[in-house]
Amino acid sequence: MAEESILTDDFLRELMNVGEVDILVGVPTFNDARTVGQVVQAIRAGLLKYFPRQRAVIINADGGSKDETQELVRAASISDLQHGSNLPALRTLHCISTRYSGPPQGGNALHTIFAAGDLLRASACAVVAADSTSIEPEWLDRLLRPVTRDNFDLITPLYRRHKFDGLLVRNLVYPMSRAIYARQIREPYASEFAFSGRLNTHFLSAESPQYGESGNEFNLLVAAISGGFRIAQAFLGDKTRLDQPPSDLVQAMRQTVAPLFGSLERNFPYWSNDGQPQPIPAIGPVPELNLEPLRINRKRLFQMFTHGVSELRPVFEVILSPTTYAELQRAAAKSEDQFSFKDELWVRTVYEFAASHHKEVINRDHIIQALAPLYRGRAYTFLVENRDASSEQVEENVEGLCRTFERLKPYLLDMWERK
Amino acid sequence: MTILQDALWYKDAVIYQVHVRTFYDSNGDGIGDFRGLAQKLDYLQDLGINAIWLMPFFPSPLRDDGYDIADYRSVHPSYGDLEDFKVFLDAAHQRGIRVIIEMVLNHTSDQHPWFQQSRSTRDNPKRDWYVWSDSDTRYRGTRIIFVDTELSNWAWDPVSKQYYWHRFFSHQPDLNYDNPAVRAEMWDIMKFWLEMGVDAFRLDAVPYLVEREGTNCENLPETHEVIRELRAKVDQQFPGRMLLAEANQWPADLRPYFGNGDEFHMAFHFPLMPRMFMGLKLEDRKPITEILQQTPSIPDNCQWCLFLRNHDELTLEMVTDMERDYMYDEYAREKTMRLNLGIRRRLAPLLDNDRRRIELMNGMLMSLPGTPIIYYGDEIGMGDNVNLGDRNGVRTPMQWDGGWNGGFSLADPEALYSPLMLNPVYGFQAVNVQSQKRFDHSLLSWMKRLIKTRKSMPVFGRGSIEFLYPANHRVLAYVRQLGRDIILVVNNLSSSAQAVELDLKRYKGNILIEMFGRNIFPRIGDLPYLLTMGPYQFYWFRLRRI
Repeated sequence: MAEESILTDDFLRELMNVGEVDILVGVPTFNDARTVGQVVQAIRAGLLKYFPRQRAVIINADGGSKDETQELVRAASISDLQHGSNLPALRTLHCISTRYSGPPQGGNALHTIFAAGDLLRASACAVVAADSTSIEPEWLDRLLRPVTRDNFDLITPLYRRHKFDGLLVRNLVYPMSRAIYARQIREPYASEFAFSGRLNTHFLSAESPQYGESGNEFNLLVAAISGGFRIAQAFLGDKTRLDQPPSDLVQAMRQTVAPLFGSLERNFPYWSNDGQPQPIPAIGPVPELNLEPLRINRKRLFQMFTHGVSELRPVFEVILSPTTYAELQRAAAKSEDQFSFKDELWVRTVYEFAASHHKEVINRDHIIQALAPLYRGRAYTFLVENRDASSEQVEENVEGLCRTFERLKPYLLDMWERK
Repeated sequence: MTILQDALWYKDAVIYQVHVRTFYDSNGDGIGDFRGLAQKLDYLQDLGINAIWLMPFFPSPLRDDGYDIADYRSVHPSYGDLEDFKVFLDAAHQRGIRVIIEMVLNHTSDQHPWFQQSRSTRDNPKRDWYVWSDSDTRYRGTRIIFVDTELSNWAWDPVSKQYYWHRFFSHQPDLNYDNPAVRAEMWDIMKFWLEMGVDAFRLDAVPYLVEREGTNCENLPETHEVIRELRAKVDQQFPGRMLLAEANQWPADLRPYFGNGDEFHMAFHFPLMPRMFMGLKLEDRKPITEILQQTPSIPDNCQWCLFLRNHDELTLEMVTDMERDYMYDEYAREKTMRLNLGIRRRLAPLLDNDRRRIELMNGMLMSLPGTPIIYYGDEIGMGDNVNLGDRNGVRTPMQWDGGWNGGFSLADPEALYSPLMLNPVYGFQAVNVQSQKRFDHSLLSWMKRLIKTRKSMPVFGRGSIEFLYPANHRVLAYVRQLGRDIILVVNNLSSSAQAVELDLKRYKGNILIEMFGRNIFPRIGDLPYLLTMGPYQFYWFRLRRI
């Protein structure tokens, strides 16, 4: 029986018409009509300006939008049928849109883009988020040029962010992935990134691909690290999104922490070796943090933490060591102005969650959900400690946390292998 | 065979461009001549062409390959005399081949007696036959065409101590078409050749005939007036003769040269040619379809003239800066290959001597709407010599065989007007007519079949065109139609195999007959018509409802 393909026949027919390309830019979407037009126009302008001679295609992998997302993407095509276009284009530029099968989630979208890139033999691919309204045409150059010119295989972004933006990344994802995989990559879960055809082929030919799952961008990163591919980071600029919706923390953790924990499972032989941290080249200026005042309800974070520590006691007793849980209880018993979720306790907590996730002591999704209230406590501490901090001070604090994750890596190994 | 009397003969023509000097030397002086050319007419007849365009053969100092004429009513002694020309002309006509000659209206050589008289004194009767000025600041809005050699369109004449106007080299002063005597004299010259029996003129550099202050001195209404006047006289006194315009302009600017069918019969489509090369290199039909979309319709009695290469550089005047940079990088990486705003190379070297690409380009040349011109030697894949100055690298002797001087001349090799091509790839021992005649699958034999197939149906020369725009942009597909004759042309511009779906619903029920092999392809139905094509492959299908 033929293996079921994620690519529909119509999409394959469109790919056939596109033919081999040098550059592919993928845009995952789901009901993004408000922003995707602007984003695709910027991508097109970037391709025309910086890669006018290359064969390029823009591919939109859509999760079943009910709005005009797909039409807006297709309208950006440049062809001899678009009469009256004054765009200075040497070539045809196909902008195609496909509705992938399965639920609307990033994993399926990226899988579709990766597969298209492989079929079209694209030597360089980039992925751009459909809601990245701060995108400039220059982003295409900064992402793709290191791949096309300098033979890098993966380019992750550096953004100018607010010092309190991306708390989950700063407090968990970045420092832990840096400690585990020994690479200083600031945005392991990038919504914009670029990769080479070589890496794409390597990733897709992996024995146990995790295509449909969330975190494909992270899986690609781990594949690049473990496969010895060349990685660099490129500064893009401000990262803003139009009307950012209220974040669903648990969902965010499912999309980031769960793949991170899951990757430990598959890559144990790699990360369990004592690899020396390797610097990752950064292209462009080092971004400074945005220090504008920001209103955040810290009190509610603290309340959710203390409530979680007491309410989820049976769960924590299975996941955490008695020592760690006791320390958490003591911390939670303190008043708000005395509370501090110290780096060392936070790192041990996270590592114990990771080991429990490995051992599947309870349902793995429940483990991820149980980490959420504890993360809120850590986020509270980060906000308080950095309330008046300068850009450099925030960076120093994040660096300190990273070093703690690195120092305690043997603790994770010990927990991992303990029966 | 004799010339058939059809006023629109030029629409069905396949033109062969040749310089007398380059083709065949009959007297062993190292220079091709009319007697030699006449001896080779059987070859041209066998090739299948039915018109010859001769580059200038008039007396000239030859500082611009004959486009600097010193006597319009005679033949350069190196090529023979008027009698030799008449013999050649009659012999061509006997073979059904028409003859197109050059008429350089815009300028003469500075050695022409007219200019010598004009410059002699300011009150000479010929003074006003050229454009003189005390200042070199008139007509400042006029571009310089030969940017590599000329700094100004004015040149100082130390004899009469005034500046004279020249759009090309400074040794080619422009005639003054505001002077009725000049117009009358130029018509007299044309009449001289028409009475002798020539079938057509290629009028050189026509946009520049008249100058006016405050303009760019190109395409002026007064220039069109000169053309209309000449055309009316041709129609009146020599019906069936043809005027072909050389005007390197955008299609919209060229359109007025057809007038209401009362100026030129034909004009070169200059912007199409570089875009054919561009489309091939990009593997994308967009440059070709776009320029043809921008090409205005022309009167029924008019025709575009199409070419791949000619005696000049592959001109890149009618492209954008970005396109020009691309063409230079892809087709002329070495600086020596570039000249003015163009590339001085022949067809085969431009296409890396790739037989498939050469065939595809010729296939498009013969099937796009217009009259095709083949530049001498390109039918056997001759190479070029970029080490020769100016455009001489594409004007080397015709390669007839692998023997002495490539069969071109019995002179000592050192006496030839130009060195022969000698390298192992393009040299006369590797590329020549005699060796290619021996094989059915040589380029020469293939070109014969191509020309024969084109000539088999008037639709190629006279039919309409409709582009199909399949989603696969690497495939250029169009339908040519004349009455009930319908031809489908499909070109794969790509170096790789392609599948393409064509929307042929309106031709449902027709079967396709491939025109070269006469094989039958499946009948057109309701579904898109699927074709698979090899790299650089092209199909000509005749649609038949049986």
